[in-house]
Amino acid sequence: MTLLIARRVALSVVTVLLATVLVFTAIQLLPGDAATQILGQNATPDAVATLRGQLGLDQPAIARFFSWLGGALHGDFGTSLVSHQSVGAEVGRALVNTSLLAVITIVVGITLALVLGMVAGLLRDKWPDVAISTIALVGMSVPEFVVATVLVLLFSITIPFFPAVVVAGQNATIAELLPSVTLPAVALIFVLSAYIIRMMRTSVIDVSDSEFVRTAVLKGNSLGRIVFKHILPSAMLPTLNVIAMNVAWLVGGVVVVESIFNYPGIGTLMIQSVQTRDLPVILLITVLSAVVFVVCNLLADLISIALNPRLRHSRSAR
Amino acid sequence: MDRLLDTVKGHQLSRRNVIFGAALGVIVPTLLAGCSTGGGGATTNAIGAPRTGTAAKGGILRIARPPASKAETLDPASSLSAYEYLGALYNRLVKLSTSGSLLPDLAASWQQTPDAMTWTFTLRSDVSWHDGKPFTSADVVYTMQHILDPATASPQAGVLSPFLTGSSISAPTATTVVFALSSPNAEFASLLAGYNCYIIPAGSAATIGASGIGTGPFSLTSFTAAGPGAVARNESYFGDKPMLDSIEFSSIADTQARVNALLAGQVDFIAQTNLDFASAKLVTASTTVTVSTIKNAQWYPVPMLNSSAEFSNPLVRQALAHAYNPTEVLQLSVQNYGTVAKNNPVPPTEAYYLDYGLDYDPDKSKSLLKQAGMDSFTSDIYTSTYDPVLTPLALALKGSMAPSNITLNVVNASADSYYTDVWMKKPLMATYWYTGRPIDQLLNQIFRSGSSYNETAYSNPTFDQTLDAARATVDDAKRKTLYQDAQKILIDDGGSLTPFFSDRLVGLSKKIVNYDEHGFEFDYLKIGFEAV
Repeated sequence: MTLLIARRVALSVVTVLLATVLVFTAIQLLPGDAATQILGQNATPDAVATLRGQLGLDQPAIARFFSWLGGALHGDFGTSLVSHQSVGAEVGRALVNTSLLAVITIVVGITLALVLGMVAGLLRDKWPDVAISTIALVGMSVPEFVVATVLVLLFSITIPFFPAVVVAGQNATIAELLPSVTLPAVALIFVLSAYIIRMMRTSVIDVSDSEFVRTAVLKGNSLGRIVFKHILPSAMLPTLNVIAMNVAWLVGGVVVVESIFNYPGIGTLMIQSVQTRDLPVILLITVLSAVVFVVCNLLADLISIALNPRLRHSRSAR
Repeated sequence: MDRLLDTVKGHQLSRRNVIFGAALGVIVPTLLAGCSTGGGGATTNAIGAPRTGTAAKGGILRIARPPASKAETLDPASSLSAYEYLGALYNRLVKLSTSGSLLPDLAASWQQTPDAMTWTFTLRSDVSWHDGKPFTSADVVYTMQHILDPATASPQAGVLSPFLTGSSISAPTATTVVFALSSPNAEFASLLAGYNCYIIPAGSAATIGASGIGTGPFSLTSFTAAGPGAVARNESYFGDKPMLDSIEFSSIADTQARVNALLAGQVDFIAQTNLDFASAKLVTASTTVTVSTIKNAQWYPVPMLNSSAEFSNPLVRQALAHAYNPTEVLQLSVQNYGTVAKNNPVPPTEAYYLDYGLDYDPDKSKSLLKQAGMDSFTSDIYTSTYDPVLTPLALALKGSMAPSNITLNVVNASADSYYTDVWMKKPLMATYWYTGRPIDQLLNQIFRSGSSYNETAYSNPTFDQTLDAARATVDDAKRKTLYQDAQKILIDDGGSLTPFFSDRLVGLSKKIVNYDEHGFEFDYLKIGFEAV
C-alpha cells in the first residue's frame, strides 16, 4: 500500500516536470516573445532589442529554463516578465479567487450530481429520470461558454440581478467577488455535473439489478438501508473516476468561463500570460494545473481502494 | 432572420425581440453581421453622433477598457502608456483642435524665429502639480529629455530626434522654455501635441508610471496595471473644471464581456476598442445603452511593402490603387460608417488636406499592369482578428479587384503575432491607425524614408525633400502648399493604398451627454450625466 502510494507520487512528480518542459518548449515555438507581444504595434526593432535586454530574453532558452527550474525547486518561481512582480504572489492571488469558484462548484456540483444521478437511476424511466437525463444531456452537449453567455443574458441583462462581469479586477476582495461567483459557478456546475449524473445513473441501475441488492431486498431491508449501505458504495466506484476527470476538466473549463465573466482568477491570468508570452507565470500555472490533474487521479484511485473491498484486501490476499 | 431584420429596421423592438437579437448576436455574431450588411442606412437613427446637452455637476463615470498588459504604465512617454488616463491626469504645452489647429495648454504663447530654428514657449505661471508643487520650465525641459532618452524608447523620440537633442532645450526663466532645433521645422509646435508629450514633474521618470502626478483636471486615486483604477476631480485645476466628480476605470479583456458589462449597466462606456458592427447592432437594441460614432476616427490602410518583389514597381502599386471600387469596399467593410479616401492617407478633416486621390478605374489599372509587363497580378493579402474590420476589408478588396485582373488570396494570420510577423514583413496586409496625428508627424513618421513606423518601406527622395522644404517654410500658406505637394507625390507614386477612413463606434450609456473623442484623447471636461 505504502509502496503503491510512493510509486504513484514519484510518477506524479515526473509527470509535472514533463508538463513544464512541454509548455516551455511550446511557448518557445509560438511566434513572438514577451518583448514583441508587449510592444505590439510599437515593436520597432530598436524597441524590441531594448526590451529583450531588459527582460533577459537575449539568454539562450535552455539556460533560462534551468535557471527557472533551479529557482522553482527552492520555491522561487521568478518574477513576471511583464509586471515585474513576484510570480508566486501574482499566481497566489489569482489562485485564491479561483479556489473560491472551484470549491463552490465542486461541493455543490458533485453533491447535486450524485443526488440527481441516484434519483434518476432509482426512478428509472419515470418522469424525474426523463427530466434529469434530458437536462444532463443538454449539459453534456452545450459548451460552457454558451451556458455562461445565456446565463448573463438572462440574469444580468434581461433581469439585472447578478453582475455580468467582475469590474474590480484582481484587487477584488472576497466579499466583492461573492455576488459575482454565482453565475460562473452555475455555468460550471451545469457542465460539470452532467457527466457525473449520467455515470451515476448508469451505475445505480447496474448495481440495482445485481444479485446482492436483490438479496438485500428479499431479506426485507429498509429502502434507506438498501440504497445507502448496498447500492451507493458500489455505484460510487465507477463514478469516482468520472468525478476525478471532471474536477480536472475544471482547470480548463475555468479558463473560458473566467474570461467571459472577467473573473480575476487563474484562467484570466493564464490567457493574459499566454498573450504576452509571460513564461514564468505560464510555467507556474502549468505546474499547478498538472498538480491538480495528478492529485485528482491519485485521490480517485485511493478512494476506490477504500471503497472497494476487493482492492482493499489485495495485499493480505497476496 | 428576415423577420428579425424587419423588426430592427422598423424600430419596433419588444423585449422578446431584444433578447432574441441579443442571443443571436452573441452566439452567431458573424451570421448576424453577414445578414445585416446593408442595414447601415436603416439604423442610422440609432447610431449617430454623440448626444449633447446639459450635464449635471457631479457623478462617477465608469469606463471599461481592454487591459493592454501588466507592463502598462502612467508614463505618457512610454509606448505602453495607459492612454485613457493621460488626458485626465496631465497637460501638454499645446493641444490640437479637431481641425488640426494648435491651442494653448500649459504654454500660454509661443514664437519661432524667422528661420524656424529656435522656438520659445512662454508658460502659464498659475499651474501647480497634483502634489501642490508649482509647475515650472524645469519640468518641461526634464519631460522632453525623458522623451528623447533612448532608454525610454518613446515612440515620439523617433519623431523629434532628427532635429532635437536633450541638451538643446533650455529654460532661461521659470516660465520660458527654448528649443534650439538642428534643422528648421515650422510645424515643431504641433509635434508637441502628441499623446506621448504630456508634461511630467522634473525628476519623476522612475515614479511617474505609478504615481501619475500631473497638472490635469483629475488627480490619481488608484492605478493597477491591466487592472482597475480611478481618478478624482482636481479642485485646483487651472482651466475649466470637469463636470464629473470622478472616473473609475476597469479592465475587461474579453470583447463580449465588455459589451455585457455595458448592457448590464456595470460600466457607462467602453473605451479604445470600438464596437464591431455585430455588437453595435446588439447594443442599439438595448433600452439603456446607445452607440455613438466618432467621425473618421480610424484610418484603414492596406500597406504595399515597397521592398517586396511584388510592390517595388510603382506601376503595380498604382494599378492596385485604381483597381477597386472604394464605395463598394466601404459598404462591405464598415457598412458605410466612414468616408472614402481615394488612397490619400490624410483625413479630410485635416486643415492641410488635399482633395486629391486615385479614383476607381479598372481600365487604367489594367493598362498600368500592361506597362509593368503583366497581364494579371496575384498576391497574398494578410488579415487577422486583431481588429474586426481587417478581414471584411481584405475580402472586399479581393472581390472588388478581381475584375481588374488582380487576384488576392486572403490569408488569416494569428492576431497574437500580427504586428511582429506580418506587419512590415508581408507584401500586403490590412491594418489600422488612429487618426488625429498632426500632418507633419503623419507624413514623416509613416512615409519618410527609414522612419521606424514606415510600414510600406516607402522611400522617395523628392517626397522627403518636399517635407523638409515644408518644415523650413515659416509662411503658413506656402507651407500648406508644400504639405499638399507632398500628399500628391505620395499618392501619384502609389505610396498609399487607403480605401477609407472609418467612424469609431462607441458604446455609451444613454445617461451620458457631451462625449467627445479625437485622435488619442477624450474630452474629460464636458462629459457628464444628463441633468434631469
